[in-house]
Amino acid sequence: MTGDTIDEESLRDLQARTAKLPREIEPPADAWAKIKAEMDRTRDIGQGVRASRVIALWQRPAFLAAAALLLVAGSSVITAVSLSRRNEGNDDVTATRSSGATDRPVASRGVAPATFAEFTLVENDYISTANRLSAILESGESQLSPETIAKLRESLRVIDAAILEARRALAADPANKQLIEMLSTSYSQKVDLLRRTTEMGRS
Amino acid sequence: MLRSLLLASMIALVTTESSAQAKLNRGQKLNSDGAVRIYNLVGSVRVIGWNRDSVAVRGSLGKGNSFHMGGAAAGMKMFVEGIDERNPAPADIEVSVPMRAKVWVKTATASIEVSGVTGSLDLYVVGGNIKVTGNPADVNAEAIDGSITIVGSPSWVRAKSASGDVTLDGSSSDVTISTVSGKIDVDGTRIERAKFESVTGDIRFAGSFERGGLVNFDTHSGTVEVGIPAGNGADFEVASIAGKIDNRLTSTRPVAGRYGRGAELTTSSGNGGTRVVIRSFKGPVTLLRKD
Repeated sequence: MTGDTIDEESLRDLQARTAKLPREIEPPADAWAKIKAEMDRTRDIGQGVRASRVIALWQRPAFLAAAALLLVAGSSVITAVSLSRRNEGNDDVTATRSSGATDRPVASRGVAPATFAEFTLVENDYISTANRLSAILESGESQLSPETIAKLRESLRVIDAAILEARRALAADPANKQLIEMLSTSYSQKVDLLRRTTEMGRS
Repeated sequence: MLRSLLLASMIALVTTESSAQAKLNRGQKLNSDGAVRIYNLVGSVRVIGWNRDSVAVRGSLGKGNSFHMGGAAAGMKMFVEGIDERNPAPADIEVSVPMRAKVWVKTATASIEVSGVTGSLDLYVVGGNIKVTGNPADVNAEAIDGSITIVGSPSWVRAKSASGDVTLDGSSSDVTISTVSGKIDVDGTRIERAKFESVTGDIRFAGSFERGGLVNFDTHSGTVEVGIPAGNGADFEVASIAGKIDNRLTSTRPVAGRYGRGAELTTSSGNGGTRVVIRSFKGPVTLLRKD
């Protein structure tokens, strides 16, 4: 770990260790008695003295105790949110083979975009990837037969029709997360089909 | 390392040329877990796992075909080369390999059939069909317009076709099947992590889920039919933008979609335990009891 950066392994280790910490810690039995005594003592000192010591408020035991509790609570919340996000990522059932290789293009990995704005960014990525792969197929680098190219075009037409239909529905209902996920899946299938065909045609 | 061995061994390839249709009968030593790469554009490729540390190739070559084979005990490669690459003569080859071998096959229109191999399989066709029988460790099968059939229990399956159908008959803990217009037909047990997706192709699942799993069904306009036995626990989350949801598995009725259109259904069968997510744009979804 250097500076403000933290690598994924260290983060995972930190999260694992943080997750083992208890959610609540009972304060020592005599803590409140000591805090109360300290509060009583400072109140007795008087207004004048209090005014002169206001700068050192953060040094008072009561303040420090409250700050410590806030810190524990805050770090627990951060850990919970972080772990929750990791679990959301694991919901994608696209697992890896024993060799560790993923079977999807970069654009389709991970969790589907959650909002329309996020989706439009991902959509641009899909479209540019699909255009690049289509250009390779059209350029004649591919050795696929005309019959195969025709069947490929028919499959692409089917996917494009589905994308267009879902895209129109999303335009009318941009907050619909299910539509966003479905569109992402259709784009992912298109890119994957183009990628597979390009690879097969190259050999 | 393996790639280096393969490349180095290619220098020592042995070639058979055919002026007319010719019989093929060749053999070579291979480790019990060695790698085999087979390339044949047209005709057929049949791979059979056997209990020997060697590879035997039999078959027939079309007129003008050349058969090349070479490699070492850790890995070997063979391919059929035609005089006319645009219109090659078909070659039918049968390759016996050690049952734990890692097998890679690529064809254009040649069909691929694999049986009795327990190693990993990578199978690629453009227009031919793929059929796998047995219990390989993992199967990666890809076609453009050919069909894929897997009968057995690979622990890991990835099967993709565009217009071809994909059929899985067996059990697997980790499955992804994807088509565009091809039908997906699964008779499976102990399915733990799975994803079945199509654009217009119908999806039919009959079988059982492993407790604690996650199974996704996605389609644009294909029908989705999921049938499980009465005692199999599953927590269903079904959503359709414009399609109908028919629940014949439990007594829960679908409700209007949360975005003001379509339908949604949340229900559990048995004691639950496996998350089953079904999403459809306009294809009908049916949940059934299959005993």
